[in-house]
Parts: sequence; C-alpha cells; structure tokens
Amino acid sequence: MKRIESKLNTASADFQANAAHNRKLAGEFREKQRKAREDRPQRDIDRLRAQNKLLVRERLKKLLDPGTPFLEFSSLAANDAYDGEVPGAGCVTGIGIVSGREVVINAGDASVKGGAWYPLTVKKTIRALDIAIENRLPVVHLCDSAGGFLPLQADLFADKYYAGRIFRNQCILSKMGVQQVSVVLGHCTAGGAYVPGLSDYNVIVRGTGAIFLAGPPLVKAATGEENTVDELGGCDMHTSVSGTADYPASSEEEAIAIARDIVAQFKRPQKTHIEWQEPEAPFYDPDELYGVIPRDIKQQFDIREVIARLVDGSRFHEYQPSYGKTLICGYAHLWGYKIGILGNNGVLFNDSALKGAHFIELCNQNRTPILFLQNITGFMVGREYERRGITKDGAKMIMAVSCSEVPKFTVMCHGSFGAGNYGMSGRAFDSRFLFSWPQSQISVMGAEQAANTLADVKVRQLAKQGKKLSQADIDAIRDPVLGDFKRKQSAYWSTSEIWDDGILDPVDTRNALGIALSASLSAPIGDPRYGIFRM
Amino acid sequence: MHHAFKLGDAEHNLELSRGAGGYRLHLADPVIPFDLKPGADGHASLTLDGTQHEVVIATRGDDVFVHFDGEAYQLRYEHPLKRLAEAGQGSAEDKVLAPMPGSIVSVQVNAGDAVAKGQTLLVMESMKMETTIAAPRDGVIAAVAYDKGQTFDRDALLLSLEPKP
Amino acid sequence: MNVKPDFSGPAAWPFQSVLVANRGEIAVRVLRTVQKLGLKGIVVYHAADRGTLAVKMADQAIEITGSTPVASYLNGAQIIAAAKTSGAGAIHPGYGFLSENKGFCEAVEAAGIRFIGPTPEQIDLMGDKVRARNYVQKAGFPVAPSAIEDDDPGTFVERSRKVGAPLLIKPSAGGGGKGMRIVRDLALLEQEIERARSEGQRYFGDGRLYCERYIENPRHIEVQVLGDGQGNVVHVFERECSVQRRFQKIVEETPSPALDEAKRREICETAAGIARAIGYRNAGTVEFIFGQQGEFYFLEMNTRLQVEHPVTEEITGIDLVREQLRVAAGERLGYAQADVKSQGHAIEFRIYAEDPGRGYTPTTGPILVLRPPQGEGVRWDSGILQGGEVTAAFDPMIAKLVIRGSDRSDAIARADRALKDTVLLGCKTNTAFLRRLIRHPAFVAGDIHTGFLDANPQIAAEPELSDQALHVLLAAAALSTRPMRDVADAVPDMHAAIGTWRN
Repeated sequence: MKRIESKLNTASADFQANAAHNRKLAGEFREKQRKAREDRPQRDIDRLRAQNKLLVRERLKKLLDPGTPFLEFSSLAANDAYDGEVPGAGCVTGIGIVSGREVVINAGDASVKGGAWYPLTVKKTIRALDIAIENRLPVVHLCDSAGGFLPLQADLFADKYYAGRIFRNQCILSKMGVQQVSVVLGHCTAGGAYVPGLSDYNVIVRGTGAIFLAGPPLVKAATGEENTVDELGGCDMHTSVSGTADYPASSEEEAIAIARDIVAQFKRPQKTHIEWQEPEAPFYDPDELYGVIPRDIKQQFDIREVIARLVDGSRFHEYQPSYGKTLICGYAHLWGYKIGILGNNGVLFNDSALKGAHFIELCNQNRTPILFLQNITGFMVGREYERRGITKDGAKMIMAVSCSEVPKFTVMCHGSFGAGNYGMSGRAFDSRFLFSWPQSQISVMGAEQAANTLADVKVRQLAKQGKKLSQADIDAIRDPVLGDFKRKQSAYWSTSEIWDDGILDPVDTRNALGIALSASLSAPIGDPRYGIFRM
Repeated sequence: MHHAFKLGDAEHNLELSRGAGGYRLHLADPVIPFDLKPGADGHASLTLDGTQHEVVIATRGDDVFVHFDGEAYQLRYEHPLKRLAEAGQGSAEDKVLAPMPGSIVSVQVNAGDAVAKGQTLLVMESMKMETTIAAPRDGVIAAVAYDKGQTFDRDALLLSLEPKP
Repeated sequence: MNVKPDFSGPAAWPFQSVLVANRGEIAVRVLRTVQKLGLKGIVVYHAADRGTLAVKMADQAIEITGSTPVASYLNGAQIIAAAKTSGAGAIHPGYGFLSENKGFCEAVEAAGIRFIGPTPEQIDLMGDKVRARNYVQKAGFPVAPSAIEDDDPGTFVERSRKVGAPLLIKPSAGGGGKGMRIVRDLALLEQEIERARSEGQRYFGDGRLYCERYIENPRHIEVQVLGDGQGNVVHVFERECSVQRRFQKIVEETPSPALDEAKRREICETAAGIARAIGYRNAGTVEFIFGQQGEFYFLEMNTRLQVEHPVTEEITGIDLVREQLRVAAGERLGYAQADVKSQGHAIEFRIYAEDPGRGYTPTTGPILVLRPPQGEGVRWDSGILQGGEVTAAFDPMIAKLVIRGSDRSDAIARADRALKDTVLLGCKTNTAFLRRLIRHPAFVAGDIHTGFLDANPQIAAEPELSDQALHVLLAAAALSTRPMRDVADAVPDMHAAIGTWRN
C-alpha cells in the first residue's frame, strides 16, 4: 500500500487562503458549541446548585474513565429550532468509555428548561438508542428531566418515532441482551419513569432522585391523596419497598461511582474481527485539511488529499485508478482498522456508479467497513447519459449501499446534492455514523438552481394568466426562496434537525471515525445479500 | 476524581489513565505522563514528566509503601465506593480509634453505658506512658473492642458509640 | 586490637554452650560471637518471635510462654528450665529483661549454670540507683545533688523540694528512662511524684523513687569498662549518647565530640576507678551526666552489655561479647589499659519503628521489604527479617545501623548514604528523620545535648513534600493499586492512545 503523493503546495496563496477561511469556520463552530454547552441563565445554574446537583458535563466527567475520549453526538441539535432556547436539544448523548467499556451515554441536561423533552430531544435520544441497537453498545442513562414539554406534546408523543420509541428501543436493546443502567439524579415522571423502569440496573440518589408515574400534585388532583416526593417515589422507598430501583446513593458522586462499578460487571463484547494492523499517524498533517477544502462550495478538489490526511501513514490502495475516475475507491487503514473508502472527485457517471457498486460488493465480500466521503453534485444528467442508463446504474449503486452489511460511515466533506446523497450513503441509508464538516451543504439541488426553478414556474403560471413580471417582481419571488434554501442546506440546519450525528471540526474526523469504527465492531457483520440490480 | 490516597493526614484525589506509551496521573489540575519499569532487586524506575526516579514499592491490602529518596512512605488507598458511602453517613466521632499502637491498661466502661464528653473511657499504654482515651461526645457506648492487656495497632477501633439519634 | 591475651581458648572453658535469654537484634549479636567461638548457641523465644533471625540462626531454639510476649522473657524459672533441658552451660541475658536482675542471676548460678555478667552483689549494688549513688559518692567520685525517698519516706517531698527545680524524679528500681519525669514547677511536684510512682510500680513492681537536680542541656557521656573480677579493669573509651528523645538514646558515637584529650582521660579513668572499686566482672557501662561547663556527675552504672556497644567495638576492634564470655569463663583480661587503643570514629543509629513526626509514637506493620544498607564501614545489627512483622508487643527498636569512618565527618557522610539506602517497607521507621538530624548544623558541629531534639522539634516534623515527590508517590501508588490499574488497563488501546479528546 503506497503513500498518497500530495499534489498540494501548502505554501500557495490559495492553500493559505483556504486554511484561513476554514480555520475561521472551525472557530465559529467551536464557539457555537461552547455556547450550546455552557451558556445558561444564572438562575438555572443556581437552582441546580441549590438542589446539590451537578451540571451534566460535571456528571459526564465523573462517569467517564479519565484520559479517554468522548464522541459526542449532535452537540448543536435544536440550535436552529425553538428560537435557540433549547441548546443541544436539552440532552447530551455520545459514546464514551466507562470502566473500560464502550457505552452510549444518554444524559438529560436539567440546566435547559429543567431537562424537559422537546420534539428534537426525543429525536436525539432515539438516535442515541438506535446507535446503541445498531452497534450493540450498553447504555448509561443519566436521568434528570422535567418530562415532556407540554405545549409541543403533539409533536413528540404519539407518532412512530416520537417518545414511545425511546422505550421501545430500550426494550429492543434488552431483548438483544445489551445492558442498560439508569442513574436517577432527578425526577423521572410519567413516561420518564420508564427509562429506569426498563433498565437492568438502577441507581437513585437520596433526596433528589425520584421515580413515579405521577408526581405529588397530579396524584393529589387525581385522588386527593397527599404525598411527599420521597414517600411517593424516593430513593429509600424504591430501593427497599418497590424494587423499582436497585442501589441507593447518598450523593450524585456516589451514584455515578456505583454506576461505574455496575458497568465494570458487564461482559466485554467479543469484537467482530476485521483486518487490523498497528495504527500509524497520517504522514500528512490532518491540520492541512483546512487548506484542502475550497472556500467555494462549487469548487472541485481532489478527495485523495482528504484521504491522505485521515488514514494511517497516508497510505492508500486505489482500486480501478483509471476507470470511473470521478469516484475514488480503495483501501486504507484508519486507527489500524482496514476500511474501504469511496470519495467523490466529480459528478457520478455511469462508469463511476458501476465502479462504486462493484467496490461496495468487494468490501462486503471481505468484511471491510466502508467510509463515504461526500462531495457530490449528483449523477450526470442529459440525453446521452440517460440513453446509457445513468438511472439504472445509479440504482445499482443505491442498491449496493442499501443492502451493504458492513458498517458504513459517512462524512459530509463539502457538497451533497441530489441523488448523489443517496448513492453515497446519506442519512436515509443507515450509515452507522454520519458527520458533517462545518462548511458542507445538503440539498436536493443547488440553491440558485432551486430558486431559479421556482421563479420560472411562477413566471410561467402568471404568464398563462396574461401577467408579465418585472425583474423586481421576479427577484421578490426568487430571493426569499434563495434565502430559505441557503439556510436549510447549511450544515447547521442539518445538524439542528439531527440529519447527522454532529458537525466535526475537520481535524477531529480521524478520531471520530476511529471511535465509531471501534464501536461498530461490537455488532456482528452479516453475510452480504442484495435485491435485484437492474442490469 | 473518584480515587484517593491518604498520605499522612492529607487526602489526595487522583485518577490514573493509560496513554499510548505509559500511564498518566490526573490530579486536580495537571495531567502528568509517567511510566514504571521494574528493575533488579525489587527496585523500579519511575519516569515522570521526563525525569527518572528510583523507587521500591510494596503493597499489602489497601496500603502501598514506597521508598523514595531515602524515605519510606505509606499511602492508603480509599476505594471510591467505600469513601463515598462513608461520606454519606455517620460521623467520625462515633468511632474511637487508637492514636498509636499500644496495649490496654484498663477499660472503664461497658457497652450500653451512657458517657459524657471528656469522660475517661479507657487507659492505654504506649511508649512507656499511659494515655487516657476520653469520650469525644456525649453518648452511649455501642461496643468495646479490647480487654485489659490486649495490644492493638494504630487506628484500631477501640470503642464505638451509638450513632446520634 | 593488638593485644594478645593469655587464654587457652573456648575449648578449655567450663561451658561449651550458651543460652541467650533475649530476643531481637541482641540475641543475634550474642549468637554471632558464640557461634564464631565454636560454642553451641541456644535461644528461647516466644511464639511472637518464631520467624525472627535469632530463632533461625540458633543451633537450638526453645519456645517459652507467658501472659504476654514480654512476660515470657521475664520468666526466669522457665528460662532456666529451658537451659537445663538444652544442657546450656551458660546464660547470656543480653540487655533489658533479666540482664540486671539479681534474683535471676542467683537462680542461674544455683542451677549450676554460668551467668554471663557480673556477680549478684554487683547487680544488686548498681541496680539500686540510690545505693549505687551513695556507694560511688563515698568512694570519692562526683554525684549530683539529690533526695532519696528510702532515706526517710515521710520527708521525701520536702527534701525533693530542697534539691530545687528543675529536678528529675526517677524510680529507684528503674532504668532506660522508664517512669522518669522532669519537674520545673515545684507546685506540680506532688502530682508528678504520684505519677512516677504509679509507673514505677507498674514497670518494675517497685514504687520507690528518688530525685536529683536536673542539669539543663546536659550531655550524656558514658564509658565502657571491662573487668575480670580478678582485679583487672580497663576502660574501652567513652560513648556520647546525647541525642535522645524521651530520655531514650537515638544516636550514640565515639569518641565524644565534647571531650578534649585531658577530659577524655579524666572521665574514662573515673569510670574505670568506679568499676575497680567494686571489683567489677563483666562488660559494664558507667554513665555520666556532663554539664556545659565540663562538670560531670555519676549517673548510674549498667552491669550488662549496652545497646550501643558496637561503636566501641568498631573503633577498638574488641569483641565485647567475647570479652564477656571470657571473663565469665574465669579468664583474666590479659591486657592493660595501655593496650586498648582506638582508631577512627563510629556512630550508631537506632532504627526505631516509630513516627518522629507524630511525637515519636511507635509504628507497627509487616516487614514487606527489607534491604539493609551495604558498603565500607557499614554494620547492620538487626533481628528482623523480610516477611516478619513489627508488633506492639516489644520495644520499637528494630535494628542498629553502625557506621565507621576515618573521622567524624567521614562517618557522617557514610551514614547519610547508608540511611538513604536503608529500605524497609511496611512499617514506618525513623531513618529519614535520622538523616535530617545528622544534617543539622548543630549535630555536624557536635554541639548537642540531651534536650537537643526537644529544643529543635522541626527536625522531627515531617518536611513538606515537594510537588514532584508527591507526584512520584501518587504515580507509584496508583499503578500499584489494582482497582486503579485495572480500570486504566481495561481501556481499549485506541481509546487510551486518543486520550482525553472531545469533539
């Protein structure tokens, strides 16, 4: 496997300008994250402190093994929703190491609206539990939630992927033999009570932790019965009378220490065996990714320059180097794990789509996880390509992607437009993990194209009615569409809506993928089997 | 910081983690890389922050003994579950511990006796001197652990008081 | 020693086996000479000492019992029975326990066994502080002002008051600092007398007391003597034992840095004179209290081998245990004072299981690792072994480190290294404290007195640890503690290599 020979001149003005631009974007991303994680009204902090509660990040620090990474999911979820008042969707999820085991962590953030569940909170939680199911990872729930956010109950309660799915996922996990621990650090009321209720092990903090289907005010309203919180669902009642919780703790710190000890009892999974060799840092500095990514979303770049800054030793075995050259395929190692990579070097033609479908089959045949590096403007259009069967060739690629049994990982490196998003394992195609770079964009087509298309439709409608529009009228139709499109194709919108598992600073991509790869190997890899490839 | 060692009267909170080539010591502020390589004759070489130190280490139970730079130190590990559980209950005053090793000269109370703060509970002998052990607070004796003539080590539980109601 | 005593050798002695009625380092020390001379070495031991070096070394070891471990070593009848069972021809009492017990000495001899020590009369005379003092005073040697309870118990308090403050109350039957109390405020006199009486009663079964003028900042200088009971007495020079804590010696050295040649001769000859006056047989030690102006008074005479005897051996080449055995066997000394010569400087450090930083309170614990220091001029006298245990049952002295050097500063330098190299893990000892002590300018200058440590408590205080030292200790401890190491090792390699990373 030979090293990729970088063609970039890192001293060039263009490279330097890219680097400055993308570093600035990364800085803006970090600042948004910081705000989402830390900026809280003082009264909310004071309230938690008065209750002797730790903040969610402090809890995480105590839960995680020291000196180990935490791959946080969707840190900016809900940031463009609810007027920005529910940063991070009011919960923290991710993969961390607890007592040496990889676990999914699902932690409520009581400093955001008392930890109330908003629709996107529910979506983020379900996604975390899906990750646990797909990768067979144990879950530690740090429960501290005020319950569902009632004004939006219609958007979070009843549908298939609404709150019920959380509990359904917990049950599925349990059926699969994947263990869960709940640490009850606040009130778990109504639906929230089922989070510990459906866990294998529950720790509850005396004084602050409580579990009940209805809290004292609701009980009083319903039956007239008067209760204190402790009587109704406190630590000692549940650990000594009802058996709903297992371990009493006198402080949050003790509760978390007990949870760590519980996780330490878990059998460590037999990891799925794939090709592995001693890891090696990339030869090319990942920091140079900032200079690789163009400032303009429409500008093309060689995806091999990205691969060279992600993989071990920057070594890459390129498959079919002379065929279907707009799709780069090949093998590399990342944190030691052998992976197959598909990366876009232009629009997908018939040959590149066929090459991609073929390569995906190869990876499935030899149990090699696949990394998709998206920078795609779509499949080629036009008479000639339709006549050559671009649709059915694209369909082959989509079939291969959909039916792939090996773990898939997707990084939105730059543009992701049209059906290319599908062929390159977009969100709908069950990549185990999907991350976006800050400047990346997703939409069915480019913003200008879309705005122009919409304006044309309108102009033609009005023309039929005999009306003629001035350029100003056309702009008045076009500009709002363009603005809305631009907003909703940005990575920040994607991540707010949880179309991905979070934005990554490009330099963090290698570690994020390493952690994701390791996690994915907790689940077995099935035998490859596909539907009908239209020939 | 879940883990703690008691060194002398001071408690030090810390964590240990493993890095790519060795270990890391996590203290409240700094994270210090180090590694320990066993040498000949029970000696070990501890490289910490780039400096090499000779140490001899022995353990027994929760005690770690380290000979370093001409002094022998004893560090007592406190398991987080034990430490945190104790933090949440009972006052230290319920236990009367031996201030030093010695033997019992006389025991002046029995289990069930009500005692007043400062009242003599027992007289012990150590270093050819008698020391009086007095009640740390008003209370009721829960148990007396030693009889006259018996010897004990430092920090042995001599007597305990019923927890405060 | 370049002396050629006229003796025919152990083969001609009336005993061919020696039972050591002691334990610990002194039992080992005595056995070493006994066995070197080709005699059979026997020890008695309490079960608590079963795994100790003395028991391992001895040709025969006989278990003794008692209500406490100490009581078993004080049970003369049982020890004599053991000597008979084993056919021991002589009993060496070591120091402490029965070494200065007249009754034991008599019983041993009545059983037809040689007592390696003085005559019962000499024990009796010197064992009673008051009578010894009177005897020495009458023989014309200097003693300090005092009051003796026995002279007239009814007026003891009054007479004590007349001696004047500060004064020192001591049990008449005592020794080794047990039960001694300083009174600086005469208002507390009666209270302190009662306390001393209670302690004397408990330790020695004898509540009688005497008191004497307490000399401020005195030095403790003692002289080793040897007598054969046949008219021959020599001194084997002095030892300075001024570094004390709680009236117990910690560091002893010879020659004394306080003496010039003339004073040295004067005090040594005084000691030899006292021994000669009683026709002394055995190795013995005459202790003096030595004032800042060079005045000295007889304190007491110990009619036994002293803990600190090795420093004398190191500078003279005389094996004092061998000399004890010889004179007990009836041999003459066979050399004159002029034949006894000294060379160099020797210092003994008592290694105590104690915590100087906590008021020298005794420590206990397992001996998990023991690595005595080695090297030129280093002698390690000890009865403990790795794998053994230090308990509260016995005296906390667990070893003696004896250093010989060409002169005092050479000995101090060697001592510093040897103390640093002394590894004993499992039970805290005073070795680091001893290093701090010998680095103190006053010690280096030889400017010390028995109150030196009380006046300089900072030497005993545990010095503040540097951050780096703390980190070394915590790192070593963390990695040696399974619940910590296991968690660290359980982290998968990649995650360990990535470290604390957040996205």
